[in-house]
Amino acid sequence: MQTTIGNIGKPSNAACGRCGHNASREINSDRLLAWILQRASARTSHRFEQIDPAVRIAVLIKQVPNPDALAAVMRVDERACRIELPPGHPLVASPFDEQALEAALRLRDQRGAEVKISAITLGPDSAKAVLKQALALGADDAVHIQDAALSEPDSHTSAHALAAAVRKLGGVDLVLTGRQAADRDAGVVALGVAEILQLPAVTFACAIEAAAGALRVDRVLPDGIETVEVALPALVTVSNELGAVRKPNLRETMRAARKPIALWSAADLALAPAQLVAKAMRTGLFVPRKTAQCEVIEGATPAERGAALARRLHAAGLI
Amino acid sequence: MPKREIEGDWVMGWPDRKRATLAAGKDAEGRVISGRTPVLDQEGLITPTDNYYIVTQLDLPEPVHPDDWSLSIGGEVERTLTLTLEDLRKLPGRSVRAVTECAGNDEGFFDYERRGAPKPSRRYVPDLDRRASMKAKRATPTHDELAGEMGNTCAMSGGEFTGVPLAAVLERAGLKPDGQWIWLKGFDTGRPDPAVQYRSMGRADVKIDDPGMIHYDKALPLAKALDPDTLLAWAQNGEWMLHVHGAPVRCIVPGWSGNWWVKWLSHIEVTREMPPCYHQTKYFVYGAAPEDPVKPMLTAMGVRCIITFPVDEDGPLERGSHAIRGLAWSGLGGIARVEVSVDGGATWHDAHIEEPRERWLWVRWSHLWHAEQPGSYRIMARATDVAGRVQPQTPWNYQRKHFDGIVPSDIVVV
Repeated sequence: MQTTIGNIGKPSNAACGRCGHNASREINSDRLLAWILQRASARTSHRFEQIDPAVRIAVLIKQVPNPDALAAVMRVDERACRIELPPGHPLVASPFDEQALEAALRLRDQRGAEVKISAITLGPDSAKAVLKQALALGADDAVHIQDAALSEPDSHTSAHALAAAVRKLGGVDLVLTGRQAADRDAGVVALGVAEILQLPAVTFACAIEAAAGALRVDRVLPDGIETVEVALPALVTVSNELGAVRKPNLRETMRAARKPIALWSAADLALAPAQLVAKAMRTGLFVPRKTAQCEVIEGATPAERGAALARRLHAAGLI
Repeated sequence: MPKREIEGDWVMGWPDRKRATLAAGKDAEGRVISGRTPVLDQEGLITPTDNYYIVTQLDLPEPVHPDDWSLSIGGEVERTLTLTLEDLRKLPGRSVRAVTECAGNDEGFFDYERRGAPKPSRRYVPDLDRRASMKAKRATPTHDELAGEMGNTCAMSGGEFTGVPLAAVLERAGLKPDGQWIWLKGFDTGRPDPAVQYRSMGRADVKIDDPGMIHYDKALPLAKALDPDTLLAWAQNGEWMLHVHGAPVRCIVPGWSGNWWVKWLSHIEVTREMPPCYHQTKYFVYGAAPEDPVKPMLTAMGVRCIITFPVDEDGPLERGSHAIRGLAWSGLGGIARVEVSVDGGATWHDAHIEEPRERWLWVRWSHLWHAEQPGSYRIMARATDVAGRVQPQTPWNYQRKHFDGIVPSDIVVV
């Protein structure tokens, strides 16, 4: 894997229009880069041109509550550590995962029909809707992982289930998914999948290109773009800077109705009992209570009050 | 030229065309409080209920259970009445199909026609969420915001309303000879938002009368109230009236702009003189300027005709035949003629008016255009109603109400 870093273009720091996430937050690029390099050196790789007959991309998509909805319509059940949605609240594909699918479709735009795209989701009956959407956008087939044992998965069980599905598909050269799900924002499932499958992972992609025998990925950094070349197979998480996603057209939507959706259970995926046990348990969920304290800055003159205010702000670490 | 793709979606589990949806503004709790109809994407004559436009002057009230609702009728009547919904439904009912149109619909086209302002588009409705947020804060739009506004549009829909004629209710109460005005009062309350009037005028340097907290009310002249098509309606498009559209009972006043269609009706009072309803005397009025001492109240709409295809955004078009389509309606009921011009008004051709041609509902019209030569075309359409009125009828007024001008489509043929 080769890496070049440069301020090719400063990424937008604007919040994602759909979910409000800031693209550039929480990126520890140096540590991540070192990890990527370490992982990549340990892998046997191959390149796009060497794949025959087709490149197979698996896109992991999660169904989430519509992030465009106002937070006020949701209720937090602190005792049950749950977010309660109002009846009929729309569920949609996580917008970052939509962009992962868009990245896959753009790769196919570059490479043509030799790129096969499989959409995979884990969730209840309703989650099939995100697969149908993916098929309408151009995915070739889809996998729905559904099992009572996976009804409330944590990151650990999700990663194992999704990794097992990718493995069962067989011959997957590239796994794409959103940089995080737009509901919980943990952003760890994708890396868990990479770990389980022993794949190099490249995160926060804003552009992915198959060129010169490798996959070239532009990564979003706080102050620029990092370009990474990675051999396949690999996993890439996609950020919202990828840009606008396409809309399904009627012809493809009708065609999608004839595309297969496989239903796989935990047994189909040969998941071991230990892989179905959540490793992390949510023990608290609450909306922070906002408290306001008013402090009167004393001083005989405006200048004294101003100086006292400056000292107070400095002491508080605000200036 | 590549063929335009039809957008797809999953509807009831089937692959289908993507439905056009209401452009909605929501309050802090995610409830829809305003909406605009995707009129260019509608087929037929009846606007689906969930695409029906929504304009409210005051705050939306909390819903009232239909069994807890009643309507009182008093004032200049022989018998004061209190009627439940079931009482109303025992009276001889009636269904009326009619266009509902906001008085300020297409206000921005006034400035386009009169002042050379940029042409508004029915493809781009205002940011209603932002307006809802401003309303909650009673924020005043800045000069720049007002200058950048393209005006209210797509506040027009066609529906079927089922209820009982207002006249039947008044007959049951017994009108006294001196009763001339039918004062309709809703149970919604609120303090009128001055920003609404600023946007309507396109300026914010005018003092707006603040009546404080009021109920929404309007007073119908007796003759219009007794028109058999003026209804107290509990159903719309074959289903119970939605709360957001005025349930349990909304007044339907065909031909008159939407502000007359009082929602969440709770009281009717018959009066000798026109009562000082705030919106009837201060906002829904004509007048040349805010200072104009004569400000007649709005009543019947003018005569209107819009082109739904092609609009500017539909161009460029390929050479060949294209069906120019649109809708036409009149505040006095009935469209007699629609004419189309493809040369900027130099010559006019009669359009085909499609059946059915109902009195209060809009009609669909079409004209087959053979565009054989590449070039720029200005397509125009104008309607004549059964009263002989040709658009435009309504002169410019300072609140830009009841626009009924001719809006061209500028289309390039390649």
